[in-house]
Amino acid sequence: MATVQLKNIKKVYPYISGEQKKSKKKDDQPQKKINLQITDEGVVAVQQFSLDIADKEFIVLVGPSGCGKSTTLRMVAGLEEITDGELLIDGKLVNDIPPKDRDIAMVFQNYALYPHMTVYENMAFSLKLRHVPKAEIDKKVREAAEILDITQYLNRKPKALSGGQRQRVAIGRAIVRAPKVMLMDEPLSNLDAKLRNEMRAEIIKLRKRIDTTFIYVTHDQTEAMTLGDRIVIMKDGYIQQIGTPQEVFNHPANLFVAGFIGMPVMNFFDAKLVREGSKYFVEVGGYRQELSPDKEERLLNHDVQSQEITLGVRPEHTDVNDEGVAARVDVAEMMGSSVHLHVNAEGHDVIIIVPTVDMKGNYEMGDTVHFSFDGKVAHVFSKETEKNLEF
Amino acid sequence: MSKDNGSSVAYKIFSFVVLIILAFLFIFPLYWILTGMFKPPAVINSPTPQWWPHEWTMRNITELFSRRTAPLFGEIALRVPGALRWLINTVFMAIMAMILTCITAAMAGYALAKKRFIGRAFLFSLIVAAMALPKQVILVPLVREISALGLYDNIWAVILPTVGWPFGVFLMKQFSEGIPGEMIEAARIDGASEFRTFTSVVVPMIKPGIGALAIFTFINSWNDYFLQLIMLTSNSNLTISLGIATMQAENSTDFGLIMAGAALAAVPIIIVFLLFQKYFTKGITMGAVKG
Repeated sequence: MATVQLKNIKKVYPYISGEQKKSKKKDDQPQKKINLQITDEGVVAVQQFSLDIADKEFIVLVGPSGCGKSTTLRMVAGLEEITDGELLIDGKLVNDIPPKDRDIAMVFQNYALYPHMTVYENMAFSLKLRHVPKAEIDKKVREAAEILDITQYLNRKPKALSGGQRQRVAIGRAIVRAPKVMLMDEPLSNLDAKLRNEMRAEIIKLRKRIDTTFIYVTHDQTEAMTLGDRIVIMKDGYIQQIGTPQEVFNHPANLFVAGFIGMPVMNFFDAKLVREGSKYFVEVGGYRQELSPDKEERLLNHDVQSQEITLGVRPEHTDVNDEGVAARVDVAEMMGSSVHLHVNAEGHDVIIIVPTVDMKGNYEMGDTVHFSFDGKVAHVFSKETEKNLEF
Repeated sequence: MSKDNGSSVAYKIFSFVVLIILAFLFIFPLYWILTGMFKPPAVINSPTPQWWPHEWTMRNITELFSRRTAPLFGEIALRVPGALRWLINTVFMAIMAMILTCITAAMAGYALAKKRFIGRAFLFSLIVAAMALPKQVILVPLVREISALGLYDNIWAVILPTVGWPFGVFLMKQFSEGIPGEMIEAARIDGASEFRTFTSVVVPMIKPGIGALAIFTFINSWNDYFLQLIMLTSNSNLTISLGIATMQAENSTDFGLIMAGAALAAVPIIIVFLLFQKYFTKGITMGAVKG
């Protein structure tokens, strides 16, 4: 029930005395956060982070480990100091306000339930600290337990619960307070695949019921795509792209986003972008394809000239036919409704998805196939900047 | 195979024999004290030892409790036998040392494990270094400090120096490190103050460690004859072990009396140890594994 604005947020982890010297000594062990900017002040974990989150919006921060997504979330929570920039919740500057006064709740990756308290006590703890009357605490805890279907476990200790149940309790502990902003830090990553799918659906339902602003951190692009109203893709402390799941899938801003979003990952080729008047073509391995009119228009607007490019085409957007780019089959994976062909084309490993219904016979290792793609699904990236040339 | 079995049997027999000898060495003095306290003076002082008392007497015990009187507590008028007063002093000392050490060590250990502050590593090294420091080394400055505080020959003179026990801080730090950081963060977000986080989240989680530390400190304080000897002088302030020692100096030594006193000093601590044996060993092993 609140907006959250992050204005040019920056986080630097300063060196603790002696740390800098130590890290220099460890020659044999290259620094893990090698891509993060390292300055005299310390390691820059997040920078130039600006985002306006609308009331009741579900925002997902996604990116690989060490990209700064959790740090950003922890800054919103108040668990990390903000080095620079402004954080506003409901229009109020909260940079220096402690977590308990920000009216936020957080669900942690490892649940962080208090092991010596029962489920009921875990959920009631925050209300008790706020001196809420007992009867009201009881009502709220039972309501939340009802929503999450954990009423029968209220008297158990966390160790007597399964992973999925513990996660529900952790969520329950967060929702009893009806916080303005709900923060979730990889809440599903400790669960097995099946349970994760179930809980994902639960979170979607929960979101409808409690109707508050969510900020959700994950490294799993499927979670990001299915849960988020908008997705923020991060890498090395910088935002790469902000958009709806559809937008980031259909129009990735750069090579990183294109490779990160979508499963299986997008195929990339060394190709050529050819401009002929107001028309644009991509050429790869002797195959030439005109881009769709809307793409041509955007390229034209940026006055993009003919150049060597990295071409991106998603596996599901490829068609096997008699013409097109030639490729040699390495492996054919039968997935049921489709076959994933791992092929080598133009020196790159490429995946082609062939729907089973369209298959003409089996694919063997070493077979040559040809594939093509439509002009509206070809993504053109600059070789130099790795940015999408349409942007 | 059979060779293996044979050697393992031999090993078992050997270790049994060693254990029996060791057990005998440790148990015999205790046996001697417990039987000695019931032997008449003539028997106990005779050059040929009587392994099992032929004649049992309560004389030593009654004698112990009829000698010199002291106020029951502090300077109150009610006077009780000196030995009882010594026992009260010792129990008071051990319990206070235990409570205060547990409180300070738990707080310090938690801070060292979970708080980031400048000089943390240095401070911790200092504490570890202090663990290696023999008590005799700091004796002179300690006595001067206690005198300056006006606590010399006061029961607090043997309580306060034990409170900042480095090993206790070390043990509590090891235990506190086992608390996930998220747990403390969750408490902060839930709205708990620093103090409330400590009492409601941290303390319950390091309870086994505190239990072990409590027993360690109780036993340590009870047995710390050296410090007591230096700090306490007047009769009504003595601890039980000091009190027994004073008996030795008077006239000819009455060994029966000393045996009775020694039993009085040893029995409570043996009971404490037997009751909490489980936690005691747990404390040692947990500290070891986590360290």
